[in-house]
Amino acid sequence: MSQGHKRFHINEQELLCKNGCGFYGNPAWQGFCSKCWREEYQKAKNAQLQIDEQNKMMKQKTPVGAEGKAPSFSKFEEKKKRESDKRTHTVKSLFRKSSSKDIAAEQVAKREAMKRLSSESQQVGEGFADFLRNLSKPAALDVSKHIRALIEKIQQNPDVTVDEHSEIIQDFYQSMGDRLQTHPVYKGLTHTTSDKLMDYMEKYIMTRLYRAVFCSMWSDDEEQDLIIQKRIRSLHWVSEQNLEASISVNEPSVRALVDSAITDIIEMDSKRAPQDKLASVVRCSNHIFEALKASQNNEPASADDFLPALIYIVLQANPPRLQSNIKYITRFSNPSRLMSGEAGYYFTNLCCVVAFIENLNAESLNMTPEEFEGYMSGKLVPRDSKEGHICEGLRLMYQNLANLSELRQRHEKVMAEAMQLQQEIVEFKENFKKEIQSVLTKNPWTIKPRKTKVDLDAESPATDMLPPPLIPQIVGEPMVVQHDQSNANSTDMTTEPHVTVTDTAVEE
Amino acid sequence: MSGSRVDMKIVLLGKEFGGKTSLVERFLHDRFHGEAPYQATIGAAFGAKRIEVVGKSLILGIWDTAGSERYEAMSRIYYRGAKAAIVCYDMTDSESFARVCFWVKELRNNEENCKIYLCGTKKDLVDENKNNRKVDYHMVTDYADEIRAKVFETSAKTGENIRNLFLKIAEDYTMDPVNKQQQEKDTLNLQEPTKKKRCC
Ligand SMILES: Nc1nc2c(ncn2[C@@H]2O[C@H](COP(=O)(O)OP(=O)(O)O)[C@@H](O)[C@H]2O)c(=O)[nH]1
Ligand SMILES: [Mg+2]
Ligand SMILES: [Zn+2]
Repeated sequence: MSQGHKRFHINEQELLCKNGCGFYGNPAWQGFCSKCWREEYQKAKNAQLQIDEQNKMMKQKTPVGAEGKAPSFSKFEEKKKRESDKRTHTVKSLFRKSSSKDIAAEQVAKREAMKRLSSESQQVGEGFADFLRNLSKPAALDVSKHIRALIEKIQQNPDVTVDEHSEIIQDFYQSMGDRLQTHPVYKGLTHTTSDKLMDYMEKYIMTRLYRAVFCSMWSDDEEQDLIIQKRIRSLHWVSEQNLEASISVNEPSVRALVDSAITDIIEMDSKRAPQDKLASVVRCSNHIFEALKASQNNEPASADDFLPALIYIVLQANPPRLQSNIKYITRFSNPSRLMSGEAGYYFTNLCCVVAFIENLNAESLNMTPEEFEGYMSGKLVPRDSKEGHICEGLRLMYQNLANLSELRQRHEKVMAEAMQLQQEIVEFKENFKKEIQSVLTKNPWTIKPRKTKVDLDAESPATDMLPPPLIPQIVGEPMVVQHDQSNANSTDMTTEPHVTVTDTAVEE
Repeated sequence: MSGSRVDMKIVLLGKEFGGKTSLVERFLHDRFHGEAPYQATIGAAFGAKRIEVVGKSLILGIWDTAGSERYEAMSRIYYRGAKAAIVCYDMTDSESFARVCFWVKELRNNEENCKIYLCGTKKDLVDENKNNRKVDYHMVTDYADEIRAKVFETSAKTGENIRNLFLKIAEDYTMDPVNKQQQEKDTLNLQEPTKKKRCC
């Protein structure tokens, strides 16, 4: 339970493909990875073909499709071709066409995905709506009109390539940016407000479209993710000394910062909007700077210190879906953010880190090829563990022990306070009783019975003489009239006559 | 400073120990090698600084880079989209000037819209003793003419010429017709937003 690892929301298992193949799964493919999803689809397609074949055998009269395929399939393909010449269309849509059971299951899954999506989108949507309220009404309407059009455009074409999606979104940023400056409804908008507006739009759009465009089925991002993940795993032995990163990772205070940086970079994957992912990178970088500063007698770190440290952090963190996240940010972030600002700087460093890790060799670590191979093959054990440093497991254990004893102290304190509170409650009760008693002895009370309604007729012996059920009717009606005239109040009176009474009283 | 909009990206390139970080430190925080009391900064690798030039206000985003040769292969990722590159060489180290040619070639091949500024560093050491100079000024200016770059000889220690360098960069940027158009569009539109009507 090291400091940094407490905050992870998603455990790795949930991210992995349902088939257990080791790739990452994706909700858009019902938890499969793209490979298994394609296989599933193939199965479904073959099943469909078989059914079609059987149908054909049974009916015989149906003509065979041009490519010798089952009629429904070829017909379907024709239709698809008409819609678009994209090869990718057929695959995904066909799967939907499989069996009715599959369709039902898929729809349930889809609806669930939508529900999950909407909770996150809703949150962003609310913030956005609040912001739009500060704009003029025509401006707000114009913004929502364009956003709706964009989202529909993308959602209605789920099968186009991710690069086309990227182009659409980038065009949108560009044209909306121009529009904010040229269109009359946005007259008088300050630079800051229009920047904020662009920010909100990006955040909202990308949160809504995240599932549709992140780690697209039709890109090889996922394979790239796995390659870099394996690569990083194979480099587990690379130490901060190998990288000449001036971080004293065994210093507890530095270690805490390193853990935070690791958490930050891992959390990037759980964010949706590009700026939120970038914010994780910035947070990570700031923690690295703090760690560097704490390692170097409070001397502020520079670019020369930062890059190796970031490499070290990425190697330690092995962030999930690293390539997908980098590509996503590159494709869908507002380019101005990436080109010049602080976030852009750190993101660029992250891209460099990935490039460095991909090409890392003996030379980049200042060692001989033999040494490098030795470490890679596991024949050589990192120098680090032979030296006086305690190993990661022990370090964690000590830290956990410290945490536990602190927890126990806090627990004891809470218990002591609880006991005291209990004592106070008892005392309070006692004092309260005593006080009441003393007040009572000083001022003796005679408690009179509460006034109750008295039915005048109840005990009259005369009532027994009357026929019981008729009594209220006979006596009641004349009484109302009587009250009206006399203005007298009676226990038996209904509300309505009472109102009439007061009314007349006012009039008089 | 962070998160705010930045108008232009300026990247620093050059051999390790060439004085890039010191130059940035001096410009951003006006201090040299820990001499001045530290401000709240936790580090400097990126910095944004507002600068006023020809009646305009610009925010410069300054990108320091790790100079070690082991990262040279990735440098292209750094200077992508930069409007200006300050290529540093240590005037007391002839080898560092040889690296300058490497960077210039890189930039010319990959980033044609990036203006190049050659920056000799550690001028104070040369002024102290002429024998310390290992890179001839005229040789550099000849080379600079050839590649249409400008030369600045600076000292991060004394601060000499550093502000001039960044002022020149900002001025060139504002005067460049491409960027000028962009800026005028911005300011014009602020005053007369009704000018163009177009729907996207
Ligand atoms: N005397 C003097 N020393 C300098 C100057 N600029 C840098 N240095 C020193 O040169 C060394 C390397 O500088 P640094 O900025 O870290 O170079 P970088 O690797 O290019 O970032 C440091 O020891 C600096 O103190 C300068 O203008 N004058
Ligand atoms: Mg440096
Ligand atoms: Zn799988």
